[in-house]
Amino acid sequence: MEEEGPGATVHLLCLAASSGVPLFCRSSRGGAPTRQQLPFSVIGSLNGVHMFGQNLEVQLSSARTEDTTVVWRSFHDSITLIVLSSEEDTSELRLERLLQMVFGAMVLFVGLEELTDIRNVERLKKELRASYHLIDSFLGESELIGDLTQCVDCVIPPEGSFLQEALSGFAEATGTAFVSLVVSGRVVAATESWWRLGTPESVLLPWLVGSLPLQAARDYPVYLPHGSPTVPHRLLTLTLLPGLELCLLCGPRPSLSQLDSQLLERWWQPLLDPLRACLPLGPRALPDGFQLHTDILGLLLLHLELKRCLFTVEPLGDKEPSAEQRRRLLRNFYTLVTTTQFPPESGTPEKAEDVVHPAQLPRACYLVLGPGSGWQLVALQLGMRLLLLLLSPQSPTHGLRSLATHTLHALTPIL
Amino acid sequence: MAARRRSHAGPSWRPGDGEPGRRDPADAPTSRSMASAAASGSRRSPDELRPELGSQDEDRGSEDPDSDWGSDTSAGSDSADLEPEWLDSVQKSGELFYLELSEDEEESVFPATSTVNHVRFSENEIIIEEEDYKERNKHEPKLKQFTKILKGKRLLSKCYNKKNSNDHGPVSILKHQSNQKAGIIVQQRYKDVNIYVNPKKLTLSKAKEQLKLLEVLFGIIHQTKWSWKRTGKQGNGERLVVHGLMPGGSAMKNGQILIGDVLVAVNDVAVTSENIERVLSCIPGPMQVKLTFENAYAVKKEAIQQTKKKKQSSTSDLVKFFWEEEVESVQQNTLNSPHIVMYLTLQIDSETSKEEQEILYHYPKSEASQKLKSVRGIFLTLCDMLENVTGTPVTRVPLPQLKNMTKDVAQTLKFIYASLDGAFCQVENVPCLDDFFYLFFQRALHCAKLHSSVSPSAQQYDVSSSVLLDNLPGVRWLILPQEIKMELDTALSDLEAADFSELSEDYYDMRRLYTILGSSLFYKGYLICSHLPKDDLVDIAIYCRHYYLLSLAAKQRIGQLIIWKEVFPQHHLQHSTDSNSEVFQEPEGRYFLLIVGLKHYMLCVLLEAGGCSSKAIGNPGPDCIYVDQVKTTLHQLEGVDSDINEQLTSSSSPCLSCADWFLTGPHEKADSLTTSPILSRLQSTSKAATPPSCRKTLFGDSSLKTRKPSPSRSSGGLDHGCEGEEGVTSNVHTTSDVVWKQRESQGSGGSEESGALLKITKKKSTFPNPFHLGNLKKDLSEKELEVYNTMKLTSGPENTLFHYVAFETMQGIFITPTHEEVAQLSGSIHSQLIKNFHQCCLSIRAIFQQTVVKEKKKALNGGDHSNSTNSAVSSLSPVKEYGVLFECSPENWTDQKKTPPVMAYWVVGRLFLHPKPQELYVCFHDSVTEIAIEMAFKLFFGLTL
Repeated sequence: MEEEGPGATVHLLCLAASSGVPLFCRSSRGGAPTRQQLPFSVIGSLNGVHMFGQNLEVQLSSARTEDTTVVWRSFHDSITLIVLSSEEDTSELRLERLLQMVFGAMVLFVGLEELTDIRNVERLKKELRASYHLIDSFLGESELIGDLTQCVDCVIPPEGSFLQEALSGFAEATGTAFVSLVVSGRVVAATESWWRLGTPESVLLPWLVGSLPLQAARDYPVYLPHGSPTVPHRLLTLTLLPGLELCLLCGPRPSLSQLDSQLLERWWQPLLDPLRACLPLGPRALPDGFQLHTDILGLLLLHLELKRCLFTVEPLGDKEPSAEQRRRLLRNFYTLVTTTQFPPESGTPEKAEDVVHPAQLPRACYLVLGPGSGWQLVALQLGMRLLLLLLSPQSPTHGLRSLATHTLHALTPIL
Repeated sequence: MAARRRSHAGPSWRPGDGEPGRRDPADAPTSRSMASAAASGSRRSPDELRPELGSQDEDRGSEDPDSDWGSDTSAGSDSADLEPEWLDSVQKSGELFYLELSEDEEESVFPATSTVNHVRFSENEIIIEEEDYKERNKHEPKLKQFTKILKGKRLLSKCYNKKNSNDHGPVSILKHQSNQKAGIIVQQRYKDVNIYVNPKKLTLSKAKEQLKLLEVLFGIIHQTKWSWKRTGKQGNGERLVVHGLMPGGSAMKNGQILIGDVLVAVNDVAVTSENIERVLSCIPGPMQVKLTFENAYAVKKEAIQQTKKKKQSSTSDLVKFFWEEEVESVQQNTLNSPHIVMYLTLQIDSETSKEEQEILYHYPKSEASQKLKSVRGIFLTLCDMLENVTGTPVTRVPLPQLKNMTKDVAQTLKFIYASLDGAFCQVENVPCLDDFFYLFFQRALHCAKLHSSVSPSAQQYDVSSSVLLDNLPGVRWLILPQEIKMELDTALSDLEAADFSELSEDYYDMRRLYTILGSSLFYKGYLICSHLPKDDLVDIAIYCRHYYLLSLAAKQRIGQLIIWKEVFPQHHLQHSTDSNSEVFQEPEGRYFLLIVGLKHYMLCVLLEAGGCSSKAIGNPGPDCIYVDQVKTTLHQLEGVDSDINEQLTSSSSPCLSCADWFLTGPHEKADSLTTSPILSRLQSTSKAATPPSCRKTLFGDSSLKTRKPSPSRSSGGLDHGCEGEEGVTSNVHTTSDVVWKQRESQGSGGSEESGALLKITKKKSTFPNPFHLGNLKKDLSEKELEVYNTMKLTSGPENTLFHYVAFETMQGIFITPTHEEVAQLSGSIHSQLIKNFHQCCLSIRAIFQQTVVKEKKKALNGGDHSNSTNSAVSSLSPVKEYGVLFECSPENWTDQKKTPPVMAYWVVGRLFLHPKPQELYVCFHDSVTEIAIEMAFKLFFGLTL
């Protein structure tokens, strides 16, 4: 984002906790990776204060200045991640989750053992290079929101049942339980087992697939940060259509060659039309026929139990604000309501001060932006579903809740 | 806490009395007045006193009644030449913090400050005293009696005095030295002296006269006859004042007995001049005799003596006041949660590598804080790199609140000490700062225990609201009707005009000492009238809040409070940069804050020296004339007292509803809460007359706390509605005894009121809150009624407003329902709701503050928009409205079969940036869609000081 100006930079530092040797530093400016680095002395003192606190049994978690937020996090006592962000409205929550994702990405590529027991720093540095691509995509602007919500970005295909059937049939034929269809980083359909993947990897794998350059087929060894952090699995991807990929997570078998074109053709040739229909779904997320209220400029629907989310800013794309801004607005609003009104899990103890009384439950909240813009944001929680909407200024404020309730009811059968 | 005295509304003291804190003689000596010296423990030495003060030990001619500062003359007191009792607690820096509680509070607050033995003594002593002078000085307060006694003595024994004055000097110095040297030794009011006596010696020295045992045994000289002359009457015997010491006597050798001390007991037997000989003659043989003396100093200034003793621990006393629990445990708790204040310098002298030298000040010195102190390096380093780290790992206090607190502290300290550097870098400030932060942390960490006020509901309200309200840079304001307001305005204007004889420049033919810049009047912690600029008002309010003065006035009746302090209001001290002669230049003067409290009133006056008044030199203490003028103003306002109280309970501000009334039955779905049945029914019938059945349910719900819907709810209301007026009246009488009792305490007959009630219900087109009606004035005019009607804030037919806070930065005030109003709406749900409301508001306000900051920045940047607008678009920065919908249900729902009823309510915050920032927080029921801007208009309309 160029209009962010030169100020908005994000620096990510990764250091070996015991020695303080920097493993890598990634920076991004205005959403694009840059080569600009922090001076070594600054890195050293940032790590130093954290270590100093740890020696005195004080956990330093975050610091805030007028425009910059710094978050420290150490993983398994061997890796320290530090992030500095001068983006507007950055919150600790966002940065903490970013660090979790970054560490997940590191585990995904090199495995937990390498990270907890660092024998050769230089070799680890080299190995970690493979993860730069994924990590940079977290630092920059993305169309997805899974890094923040820790829910899998999904799209709703028009003919989901056909795809689902084909998917399970294909999974049976290949003898792998973990199969999914991914369109530009968003999951279209997946097998039961795939949905049951643990939190970091369920978001990381589609994200990884979406961020890689187009290839006909891939065979990657991956560690699953939650499921199997020490034993690598194979991630096979097969491009069915440009942008639409079939992902398999499997052990040593089947080999890539076994997934010959014959097998693919048998299962997916008949479904070519539904697959084609999936392609534009990437940014839109909802099928064509689905009608949203005309005031809705952006939508984020989360299912907190299934850990899936729908995120789109496509409706009425021609109006102000731009898609980029809408995404940022919704992201910021999500952060705000998550930190204040709807804490992610009711059981998180650090929010104990906010728990007034279990009987006083927040259900909805809205926000009207100030003079000039007048956009309105509304969040509504019903059961396990949390809906966030960005609305145009002409929508009446007192009608926000009913509009949100309506939309949520309409979306309920889908997700 | 002792029950508040019912009589307080009555004329317990008259304006002409001159001594507001008059106590019953019986407990006068047990009453303590507390003076805390702002500037720490060391006692002033006599030569540093103002000449007037020092002169009272000398042979000061009490024959000149109009000595220059003739204290109580303006108050119309009968004792023209008496010093006000607070004079002795004036610090050498001129500061004064003098607090005297009303008697009920004193008893409850200090039951165990001195040992039991001493208390007993003091009581004994009182009785004697009291009987002595009862007839003569029936109306004279105790303190003055003491002063009189002393004066009388001096007057009558001139020769003695001359002889004695030589002794006096060294003696008092001696006292002083012992005090200063030890530091820890607290000057006691009573002291025990053990002296070895041998009565056998007595036989050797011929026992010539009687009444000389004291002299012979101990070498203590007591001159009876002077006292005889003075009192003219000898009842139970008089006090045994040590008038002199025999050279070589055991008393002198002992060194602890000083001239002027009063012997009160021998071996714990109370003695007077009458029984002393008898008691002493009972000493059988050589033995150690314990003599208990009352300090000379204490006799003179009994009340002040207590003060002196407490000077070191004054804050802990102040804290004790508010906790009334074991302070020990509280302190323990405080220590357990880490907290620290540090003021650090970044300019470290690299030459001297002394440990911890960069810390200019820190508090407290506890173990938990050691850890934080040791990690200060973290902050320092971060500071160095990132500049300005504000977030510190303080537990339990939400970050937004913490930020506000930091700001508040800085502001208050600036107010008190001109600058932060000045505050922290001067050694003499340190103990005082310790006190300051002690109070600060107590407030921050234990606000729950702090507000142990009268009723539990009010207490809860305090606790929950303090989260938000303590940090608003404003004062809680009470809207008063026009007539009362005018009266107050007039009184304050009169004071500010300063054209009374003594204040006018002609009177003494000299320049006046101070100009009164403005004053503000508080009643029970509510601001009721202010003639101060906003910045000064906020500064003073924060100061008062910090020293618990507001809550003190609200709960404990202040006997007398006088605070005098040089202050540095930033508003006045900022000199405008442009030297344009047209622009008003603040005079380079000094500013003094004078706070005088009487009962529930507190009047803060900001004085300016320099400018058009004479320049202040040195550290001037409080000027009696000004203090008296302020006091007189307060006396003058005595009559308005009851009116204001009435207004407190039934202010014309918007009516509130209790959340518990809205709990619908289980058959109701949460979503279809368009109108609750009870209210729609009320609305339909209220035009005729409120049906008694509704009343019943309402009262039942609130006072008996039954949450089950009563059967009468489901039945239609209209059939009840057609009942005659008499039926209604009688029904109301029978069903709402509780409320009526409340009203009767207002002193008006029940029947009249119910008549008024009916009248109102007929007049009003909407449902009036029954709780407010009883408190309306009897002579309520129709015009006023209309005002009440318009003050319904919500738009629907029912009143769905639960709570509100409206904050107006232009004038630095906010309005919110009074304690009394909230207390009337008792209900378990409601109190939770209020707590939740305030917490929610805190987070909303944090968002608003970001907006305000960004707007300011934008205004500073001015021109270049293209970048800033674009980035602003993508962030949530200019927020103007934020609302949260909550759902709640009864806490302990025992009925297993039915699902608990659910009530939904909104908490909405609205920020107005133009013309001046205003903030509004409301809490209302979900049934009616509200438009916040309309509510804001209604609330802020006519909100002017």
